Amino acid sequence: MANGWSILIGFVVVALACAAGWFLSPKGETQTIWRSSLILSFASCYLMWVITFLAQWHPLIEPRASGLRSHAVYENYRPA
Amino acid sequence: MVHHQDTMFRSADMSMVQLYIANEIGREIVNALGELGQIQFRDLNSEVTAFQRTFTQEIRRLDNVERQLRYFYSQMEKAGIPLRKIDLDVDTLAAPSASEIDELADRSQSLEQRVASLNDSYETLKKREVELTEWRWVLREAGGFFDRAHGNVEEIRASSDNDDAPLLQDVEQHVQGQNGDAERSFSVMNIGFVAGVIPRDRVAAFERILWRTLRGNLYMNQSEIPEPLTDPTNNEAVNKNVFVIFAHGKELIAKIRKISESLGADLYSVDENSDLRRDQIHEVNTRLGDLGNVLRNTKTTLDAELAQIAQSLAAWMVIIKKEKAVYQTLNLFSYDHARKTLIAEAWCPTNSLPLIKSTLHDVNNRAGLSVPSIINEIKTNKTPPTYQKTNKFTEGFQTIINAYGTAKYQEVNPGLPTIVTFPFLFAVMFGDFGHGFLMFCAASAMIYWEKPLKKVRDELFSMAYYGRYIMLMMGIFSMYTGLIYNDVFSKSLSPFESAWRWVVPDGWTDGQTITAELKGSYRYPFGLDYMWHGTENDLLFTNSYKMKLSILMGWCHMTYSLCLSYINARHFKTPIDIWGVFVPGMIFFQAIFGYLVFTIVYKWSIDWYAIGKSPPGLLNMLIYMFLSPGTIEEPLYPGQAAVQIFLVLIAVVQVPILLFLKPFYLRWEHNKARAKGYRGIGETSRVSALDGDDDDSNTLDGRASLASDGEGVAMITQDIGDEEHEEFEFSEVMIHQVIHTIEFCLNCVSHTASYLRLWALSLAHQQLSVVLWTMTLAIGLGTTGVLGAIMIVIAFFAWFFLTIAVLVVMEGTSAMLHSLRLHWVEAMSKHFMGDGIPFEPFSFKQMLEDDEQAAEIS
Repeated sequence: MANGWSILIGFVVVALACAAGWFLSPKGETQTIWRSSLILSFASCYLMWVITFLAQWHPLIEPRASGLRSHAVYENYRPA
Repeated sequence: MVHHQDTMFRSADMSMVQLYIANEIGREIVNALGELGQIQFRDLNSEVTAFQRTFTQEIRRLDNVERQLRYFYSQMEKAGIPLRKIDLDVDTLAAPSASEIDELADRSQSLEQRVASLNDSYETLKKREVELTEWRWVLREAGGFFDRAHGNVEEIRASSDNDDAPLLQDVEQHVQGQNGDAERSFSVMNIGFVAGVIPRDRVAAFERILWRTLRGNLYMNQSEIPEPLTDPTNNEAVNKNVFVIFAHGKELIAKIRKISESLGADLYSVDENSDLRRDQIHEVNTRLGDLGNVLRNTKTTLDAELAQIAQSLAAWMVIIKKEKAVYQTLNLFSYDHARKTLIAEAWCPTNSLPLIKSTLHDVNNRAGLSVPSIINEIKTNKTPPTYQKTNKFTEGFQTIINAYGTAKYQEVNPGLPTIVTFPFLFAVMFGDFGHGFLMFCAASAMIYWEKPLKKVRDELFSMAYYGRYIMLMMGIFSMYTGLIYNDVFSKSLSPFESAWRWVVPDGWTDGQTITAELKGSYRYPFGLDYMWHGTENDLLFTNSYKMKLSILMGWCHMTYSLCLSYINARHFKTPIDIWGVFVPGMIFFQAIFGYLVFTIVYKWSIDWYAIGKSPPGLLNMLIYMFLSPGTIEEPLYPGQAAVQIFLVLIAVVQVPILLFLKPFYLRWEHNKARAKGYRGIGETSRVSALDGDDDDSNTLDGRASLASDGEGVAMITQDIGDEEHEEFEFSEVMIHQVIHTIEFCLNCVSHTASYLRLWALSLAHQQLSVVLWTMTLAIGLGTTGVLGAIMIVIAFFAWFFLTIAVLVVMEGTSAMLHSLRLHWVEAMSKHFMGDGIPFEPFSFKQMLEDDEQAAEIS
């Protein structure tokens, strides 16, 4: 479902949202505030998401846990 | 000139205008403009002291009325009569006419006299009442002394007549004499007495002084008055004692009187005859009753008077405050005696000019004056004030910027991006869905009950209330970053399938160490994978992730801010600021930190284990990039050495460009202009205050008008001398540029490092909420049985209270301060000039908001 392509797809989605924010902002005195705030919000949120995604894309370490109980482990496992 | 709409992006266009107002309607016009609140008048009489100005008399009179109104208010507070408050947002008081103001002044004058006289008589009556009460106490208590004393007359007499009398006399002898001698007076024995009351705390001193001065020749008796008596002058309750002092001889009595009076005792006459005393008590009681009636009547009249004033006092106060502000503004105008017009100069937003014009027109029409009020836009080389139009949403954010400095006129207003970047950077540090939700709820509540909460006058609360929209944005973004960090009150959500699964070795039992592996190419789609939650190497992973996140966010924020300096240079049409400051600065920054950001992202995007290489450390790479350019120990990508050498070279080359290009260009430009014979603008220019059409009036009015014209020009030009049109000084420009270069280059490093606070604060926040959970709720949940049921309630309240107090309020404040710093220092240093003058329009609304007394009555 989510793999390397998600980064680009996400970018396209956010770019579209930014464009929508630019054109659909209510006219009038507050238009500048709407445009700036919407686009900056979309951009910041995308950045945050994409950085998190990238950090987990090719992880260098894997989760290691002790003290787990078996029912928690056997929800999601592969026998060696 | 095309006027575009005013936006928050930069200051609104401002115009300097000159107003010619007929003297008769000056007051009405200023009143109307004060309601409009769009115009800032300049002081045209700055050389005149406050006392010499035209309307000083009026202001003094209004000050007096204001004082009277305050007097009524204090009287009302004393009497406990509530003031009918007015809502300044709803009740718009129509501008009063001058005669109405006079009427109000007269009325408050007569009311003051009436209230004062009522007060005086009330006070006198009260004093009389206290005196009578004291007398009654003296009569009552002293009566007791006398009765006891008469029984001992013989004893006293014996001891005073005969010094040799034995101390122990036959008691029997006097028993029958007691009744017979009862009516024998003290005067026969030449014993006088003084009776009165004295404050209880002075009794000790009083006794001591009496003893010392009379050498013990006295007999003093005293008793406490059980109820405290009120002092009418200051309404304080005082405990007092009744005393009766017997002494021998007139001189001693006179002495005692003097001492008593000097110590603040009140003396009352008491007759030693018990019948007379009874009559006295009777008389005192009747007088007290009468006095009580009169007092009650006075009090009701006074209260009724005050209650009536209370109905309209608030409105009067507002009217008087406005009126005073009008005259203070009129004092800034200059008066043309010949033409009987007031001349004013003011700054106003260019887009408000039509509105101001129509207001002037309206007032003029209403007054039915044939002479029109004229408003002229004039050209000037003075720097206009900076006016950033805000609404209730943007006001808080703009205040964050204004607290640092006022933007230069028409430079990019950092307040606009701050609306998002401030709460977002806050949220990076405060990332927790639960805590963000609490903050969001608090802010939403304050916005929902905006109107009623506006009246709350608690200092801490009004601070939070003022920033309610900032809090709302902070809450929303914290919820988002909380989802990204996958933290909800330190627990995690699992809305999506994890990318990891546990590898269970043969013979694994509960509690043994276990590792996970990736399922395949699937990655957790949103935020941090919940499988990391509670693992041993959780922090190892999130630290590396959050550290890089901080650097990336910081780089984005600083690049964005740096770009604003390009927009400024474009707007002010100073291409040298683009080529000499912005471009080299940008190249320098990107060659080092842009490259660092690139390597971070590049390293993430490579599957190092799949290609069988070991991932290089980026920190060492960056350090060796400068220490030994060209040597790569752990290659990140092919051709890395060449790229890095190129980047270092290009960054180093920017330093001299940054250092010398702008100062030398400016010198060249200056010399070129000088060679052509031009001079600096301020050196010779004179701004004409009066436009061409005024020449006509000169011919009409003759000399007087000429004189006034001279005044008009002087008015405008007066400030030109003050304004700094400094000579071009190469050394100064050079020093300035050297400082800028050093600062910029060093700051690139330190500011990037400074963004690491995002990581540190978010780590601290997350760890703190984990600790809080394990210390409270985890214990409550771990207990079973009845005890468990009780424990969980206690644990929950402890956890909830501490979550709000420590994690939301305290941590929130700290994260907010760090976000504030990132804006003021790291971002705004990249573009903000901040040498503007704030626009402070003459506005009744603003004036009443700032006035503390107006706050009390609304």
